[in-house]
This record gives sequence, C-alpha cells and structure tokens, in this order.
Amino acid sequence: MTPEEFWKARTIERWAESAGHHADPPHVHQERLRVLEAFCNYTERSPDELVAFCFLRKRATGDRFVSVKRRVTVNEWLAAFVAEQGWKAKEAVQKANIVRSFLIHNGVLIQGDVWRGD
Amino acid sequence: MEFKQVVGNRRTIRYFDPNKPVEPEKIQVMLEAANRASRAVNADFTKAIVCYRDELTDEIREQLKTPTMTVQLDLAPVTIFWYGDTTFADGAQARLKQLVDLGALPVTHGWSHAYVDDVAYAQVVQPLSKDAMASTWAVSVECGLAIAQAMLAGVDEGLGVGLHAFNGANAKEVLKVPDHWIPMWVLLVGYPAESPDGGGQRPRPPLEHNFFRGAYGTPWVEIPEVTERLKREGMIQEPMNAERRHKEVRELAERFGLPL
Repeated sequence: MTPEEFWKARTIERWAESAGHHADPPHVHQERLRVLEAFCNYTERSPDELVAFCFLRKRATGDRFVSVKRRVTVNEWLAAFVAEQGWKAKEAVQKANIVRSFLIHNGVLIQGDVWRGD
Repeated sequence: MEFKQVVGNRRTIRYFDPNKPVEPEKIQVMLEAANRASRAVNADFTKAIVCYRDELTDEIREQLKTPTMTVQLDLAPVTIFWYGDTTFADGAQARLKQLVDLGALPVTHGWSHAYVDDVAYAQVVQPLSKDAMASTWAVSVECGLAIAQAMLAGVDEGLGVGLHAFNGANAKEVLKVPDHWIPMWVLLVGYPAESPDGGGQRPRPPLEHNFFRGAYGTPWVEIPEVTERLKREGMIQEPMNAERRHKEVRELAERFGLPL
C-alpha cells in the first residue's frame, strides 16, 4: 500500500465524514491518520482491507455479517501493536481506540480497553 | 423515591463510575425485588449470578468479554447474569396445592386439590414444560417480570442499571451454569459516570400507537390531565437533548480513552 492509496481509501473518507473530523484542527486529524497508517502497515492491510477483514458471509445465505472471531483477532493485533509502539497507560488505550473509531464508523461494532485510572 | 419517579428515572446507563463500589446491601434489595415478582405457578423461573468485577480473576473477566461487551464489563462494578430455569414444573403440583390451602387460589374461583391434580398440573403445566418453545416463552416472560423489578429497585436505591445481551456459551462455562438454565439478559449495575438522566428520556410514541381499547384498531385515548400529572410526578420527563448528550459523550470518551 502506497501512502497515496492510504489517503484515498474510501473507508478513510467515510470515517472522517461520519465522525466529523473535518471540524477538528488539522493536526488532530493528522495524528489520527498517522496512528491508523502505522496500524495498517503493522497488519499489512490497507484501510479498506482492514474493514473488509472484519466481515464474513454466511455459507447458507451469503449474507454479510461482522465476525466475532475476526474482531477478537483485530483486538489481539491492536494489543500487540500498542505494545510494540511502547505506548502505556491512557495513551495506549486512546491510541488503540483511534483504530477502533475508524472501524466503528465503517460499520464494525468493536470495543476494547477502557482507561479506569484518574 | 416515589414509584412514578423511579419508572421515569430509569435509563440504560452506559457509562458507570468504575471506581465507585456498589454496596452489597443495595444488590440484595434488587434481588429481593426480583424474588417478589409475580410468577406463574409460584415457580422459581428466575435465577441470577451476581459478579463483582473486582472479585473475578483477570482470566475469567477476559473470558466473559466479547467485542461488543468489553467497555461495559470494564466500567460496571457489578454484573448480574440472569437465567431462566426450565425445570419450573418440578414441584408445581405441591406449590399450587399450597396456594389453594392458603386461600391465594380460592375455591370461589374454582380452585381445589382435585383441579390442581387433574387439570392445572396434568393438562397445563406439565405439557407446557415439555414443549420447548412454549417453555422458553413462559420462562422468558416470567424472568422479564423479575428482572424489571430488580432494575427499578436498583434505580430506587440510587444506582444506574443497563440491560444487555451476553454470550451464553462463554458465561455458561465460566459461571458453571447448569444445563437446564437458559440465558436471559445481563444487568450492569453501578453508579452512573454520566448524568443519571442519561441526557433525557428516550423517544417513545404516544400511547395510541401501541395500546388499544376494546379491540385492535381502537386506540387508547390519552387523558391530557393524566399526562400532565405524570409529568409533574416524574414518570414523563424531558426528552433527550442531542447537543447536550453529544457534549457529555465527548467528555466521557476523553475521561475513559474511548473512541469517538
């Protein structure tokens, strides 16, 4: 995936539009994109492929559904990614949840860590 | 708190204060409210397992989590897993006769030991308990009654509550649930981290939309004076204010590091 392909991904546009990122200061949005880009590189998947990974089709009907197992896998990837980046405490939770925000706004209901400290 | 205020105050709370413990005394009040619910054939349909988050091992907490039930389980100090017992017919005959003897099932309404033996148990309760679909229907309705009372008792005690679905297979293994219990709902309990009014009452259609008089097609006609009284007494409250709610959600997301 080239940087150009990353920035032009349909799922990135959808995320920004659905979450109202255009109203945020540019540096805030850039930081989100940097986290997502790093995670995409870590998983060797484009943003569109990452969203598609979370969906499967039922053998009997062909209906598309959000896979529990695939979401568990994404959460495992996120835990490993966050550890590799060296993020800790609240920053680790927030950064992982940037990626989850991207998935959520693309139709993947996924939850992860919560920061319970003060 | 007055009953109407309790009904009006109940919300599905999604943000609990994770560090404010819930007193076991208050949980007992909720369980007793469930225990006092209306129940057919005076049977123990409803079972519950109360889990204090911080009493569970990390391993068990992780096993109970799913990608759709992680935030809630981390935030709520108490989780009540509700189950329905499909063996509700066991002992039903004796319980019905006890109610006849006590006069709760009175002779004026046709009740007798003979009716219990020959009809109520033999022709109704026992066959119903052997029909999987009918049995699941009965268990579900009866558990719903008990769970609703527990929820309202929690609100009355100043707690926040939220009812959700859960992964029955995972919970069965972790909580050592018997085979004859079927999963109902999980009730999250704690002190709200969000405003207790949850941003206002959720949208509800007017009564005429769902309730009828005499027959379907003749809507129940609201009595305006009653509606006004219910507003004064707290059952009907201000509707949700989206702007205020979104602002609060942003603040909570910042506090807990959650996605936006």
